[in-house]
Amino acid sequence: MATQAMVTVEGLNKRFQNHRVIDNLSFRIGYGERMAIFAPSGAGKSTLIKILTGVEKADSGRILLTNVEPVTLFQEPRLFPFLTVQENIFMPFKVKRAIITTDVQNRYRDWLEVCELTGFSTHYPYQLSGGMRQKVALIRGFLGEPSFVMLDEPFQSINSLAKQDIIAHILKTAPKISILLVTHIPEEIPWLVQTVLYFQNPCLRNPEWLNVEQLQQKLGRSTSFFNTIESNPSFA
Amino acid sequence: MKNPQNFIISLRNEAAGVVLIIAAWVAVSLFYPPYVIPSPLAVVSNIPAYLPENFTQHLAATVYRAGVGFGLAYLGGTFLGILAFANKWVQPLNSLMLALQVLPGVILGVIFLLMFGIGSATPILLVAFLTLPTIAINTVNGLAKKNLALEEYLVSIKCSPIGIARYIYFPALIPVLESNFSLGLSLAIKVVVLGEFIGTQDGLGYLLNNARITFNMKEVFFYLVILLGITLVFQAIQSTIVSIFFRKYYYAAE
Repeated sequence: MATQAMVTVEGLNKRFQNHRVIDNLSFRIGYGERMAIFAPSGAGKSTLIKILTGVEKADSGRILLTNVEPVTLFQEPRLFPFLTVQENIFMPFKVKRAIITTDVQNRYRDWLEVCELTGFSTHYPYQLSGGMRQKVALIRGFLGEPSFVMLDEPFQSINSLAKQDIIAHILKTAPKISILLVTHIPEEIPWLVQTVLYFQNPCLRNPEWLNVEQLQQKLGRSTSFFNTIESNPSFA
Repeated sequence: MKNPQNFIISLRNEAAGVVLIIAAWVAVSLFYPPYVIPSPLAVVSNIPAYLPENFTQHLAATVYRAGVGFGLAYLGGTFLGILAFANKWVQPLNSLMLALQVLPGVILGVIFLLMFGIGSATPILLVAFLTLPTIAINTVNGLAKKNLALEEYLVSIKCSPIGIARYIYFPALIPVLESNFSLGLSLAIKVVVLGEFIGTQDGLGYLLNNARITFNMKEVFFYLVILLGITLVFQAIQSTIVSIFFRKYYYAAE
């Protein structure tokens, strides 16, 4: 039985001058559903995320978000260079004037531990590596326990083992979270999502709906990351 | 005790600049007779001969005029720059300010002299009018370099316009305000001298003009050194304030 739609996208179109990046795209994401958009580089994946976030306008089409305040994790960490790690992570709380409860502080400490950032709270972004910055951005996105998160290739600079620990922590702490993962790296897909919108061309048009097994077959089972996922007890 | 350290570092940097200027001055003075370019030693050794009794009053008058004129230009130019940026008047403002910059200072000084007579008004207004365009252009161009990626992030978390001003525009303004101070102040010191040439009977510009008329080059160089000293002291104070209170706004972005 289909779940109720949290996000509905209908007939979305976007072009930059003569280059069409999104062509009549339609899909829906239900409550608790975790979906990936898998497409080659330059296919308009980040543009789609920006449109869904509201920082970019579509040429035409309809987007409906039902009872949800999405959190977006952009491709780059987008940390404030003049704020410390802790100040950056608590930025959404500050913006919303939300109280930082003991529970939030406990979650913050857990996240720091998972991301191996304990002891870096007072560091500034320029004092961190690229991977550490991305982890800070991930903590900032997930700390407020959002019901829907859009992830635009947020694990790029993070090594494979750390990536697995972080994804396991996300699924452990928020098993009912809805996710839209945009990526061109197949490794992350089976770890995090259940369904895949698969695009072959460098434009978001005519997607194939696949589950993880179908994607594995499409890309070939010999690929090492699928072996990793099968041998990793965190995802069993 | 970080603050005195910062001040000492600022002074040390300024001192290095002064040493370079003096070295160049010494080198050039070797090729010219003292009545054209006197050496630093010749200038210093003759100080008692040309130091007027009421020197401190002249010094205070110049500092006051440069300070008030620069203050007006700083506030007015920054306000105008912010206003132009907010209302998307960047191009018209740039054109207007460039047109103002073309105005010859001497002509403007004479106009102010005829309008307000001899006194502080001429140098103050001259400083304000000639420094304001640089500051306004600098402000509007600096604000245009705001961090768009961070602004998008704040929009994505539904940050209020006040929050965006606080986390995007204010940090973008800090380096602009600092460079406005550096650029504007050195320009103000130069212009106040011109204003005092034209429209006053006191101040370092007036003394410098008298020395220039009689070709007393040692005295001319003495006042130039004093003006350089004033600029350097203000720059050192400014660097110290920035390094104590605003250093984090200069940390590298990703």
